[in-house]
Amino acid sequence: MSVVAPIVDVTLRGLLSRRRMILLILLVGLPVLIGLLVRVSGGRPDADRVLDTLVVRTVMPLVALIIGTAAIGSEIEDGTAVYLMIKPIARWKIVLAKMLVAVGLTAVLVIPSIVIAGLLLGSGNDPTTAVVGYSVACLVGGSAYAAAFLTLSIFTSRALLVGLGYVLIWEGVLSGILEGTKFLSIRQATLGLASALGVDVPGSTPLAPGVCVLVLGVVLVGAFLLGTWKLARFEIRGGD
Amino acid sequence: MTDPSGANTPPIGVPQAAPPPTPRPTAALEVDHVSRWYGNVVAVNDISFALGAGVTGLLGPNGAGKSTLLHLMAGLLAPSAGRVLVGGESAWRRPAMYRQIGLVPEREAVHPYLTGLGFARFNARLQGVPDPDAAAARAIAAVDLTEAAERPIGTYSKGMRQRAKLAGALVHDPRVLLLDEPFNGLDPRQRLHMMALLRSMAAEGRTILFSSHILEEVERVADSVLVVYAGRLAAAGDFRSIRRLMTDRPHTFTVVSSDDRRLGSALLADPSVFGAELVGGRLAIRTADYDGFTRALPQVARANAVTLFEVAPTDDSLESVFSYLVRR
Repeated sequence: MSVVAPIVDVTLRGLLSRRRMILLILLVGLPVLIGLLVRVSGGRPDADRVLDTLVVRTVMPLVALIIGTAAIGSEIEDGTAVYLMIKPIARWKIVLAKMLVAVGLTAVLVIPSIVIAGLLLGSGNDPTTAVVGYSVACLVGGSAYAAAFLTLSIFTSRALLVGLGYVLIWEGVLSGILEGTKFLSIRQATLGLASALGVDVPGSTPLAPGVCVLVLGVVLVGAFLLGTWKLARFEIRGGD
Repeated sequence: MTDPSGANTPPIGVPQAAPPPTPRPTAALEVDHVSRWYGNVVAVNDISFALGAGVTGLLGPNGAGKSTLLHLMAGLLAPSAGRVLVGGESAWRRPAMYRQIGLVPEREAVHPYLTGLGFARFNARLQGVPDPDAAAARAIAAVDLTEAAERPIGTYSKGMRQRAKLAGALVHDPRVLLLDEPFNGLDPRQRLHMMALLRSMAAEGRTILFSSHILEEVERVADSVLVVYAGRLAAAGDFRSIRRLMTDRPHTFTVVSSDDRRLGSALLADPSVFGAELVGGRLAIRTADYDGFTRALPQVARANAVTLFEVAPTDDSLESVFSYLVRR
């Protein structure tokens, strides 16, 4: 596994470019900013609804999308991926290293945002339940998003666009209208998990905890296996 | 790229003077009837050769299929037909073969935030060499990049970047080294250094294949050459034989002089010339002996008291050289 460490190191350094980091910090700073505004203006404490709308539905998928699609996708795009591909390394190790970075960085950015915003916003009951529930659910849900988007970027150079379409159209519009699409929604599984952890999730009936774990587990393992399968067959065309 | 139907493809013949090397089981790298097509466009068309130790130039105009061929050999592309063998085993979908092979890709992109040494170390660690730090330092020294080794690659010139890429490909001391247009962006001094480096590595018993669209580069460093044109192998073998074929092909020169008619009739008496005609106020001379004609022309002009104003070869582009080779 000694090859995982240098891949993790180089991937992290590549991801932490100034522009991308500013965008990500702005995104995860948004719930905190809203929490501050609510606190200062003396608004009604409502961590459950704000974290649901802002973090689970918006910030978490977007952060995972930006990081997941860039973790290997940006290297494929700029041509540096070739230096990974011409090494005697099992392809699953490359995918594993990339996923560790994408999943870890997503968690490092999203979880503190949930904790700070949740504590600032407060709750009708004990805010700790909302904070812990959403944190654990988003840790799993964010990992599933990041892994799925990473694998998507091995399959298509338009992963950012396709991922945005999934979050906005499939999860944002269709899962509210068509009941069946819930089972193919990382967001619904994340909310279901939060609900199982005692969070008062607003909106429709959440998925059963068992189903949530199954959906998120299938996404994580499936993304890893599919990503490995595709990377083993990945072709890099020459200049002519 | 060629039409897969072959309708527009000129007939191919490998020059008799230099038959293509036949695959041998001991060859470090074998390409066996390999084709690669994208949809209905053929990029590489039924190419076979085998390479052992030494420097081989992969010569061809831009778009001939050189990069596709190199990527097939590097296991980065699957052959649509045929097979590529490195050390006797298939190159495609076999990561273990990268212990034997080093590749310097044409694309300039190298992680800009890594230093030259950091990039070499990254490659050494991924190659799993026993002492990555020492291997990286050795490779950096070999490409003459020690002074800039601690600077981020983002600050490197094109030539330095090219050398950093080569250092990355050398860290594991590969048996086969593939280089895609390695002289691109190098200044004359760096070019000479790179040539010397390739030659010295070949002298150590490595198999080195580099692509180029510049004849002179190949001439100066390669022992043998593979000429690729329109996805096909147009010629293969000893460089000198192929160079002679290129030089001795029919050439046309246009000449402007004080008396074209007189010069033309005098030149027809010279054995190096087999045709002369007056076209649009210029004299067009056809010759099959480049050196003989260029020596004879000033002598004939002086003997006939004709002043030469302009002498120019009309078909000396590399394209015409390649298409001539392909037609043979």
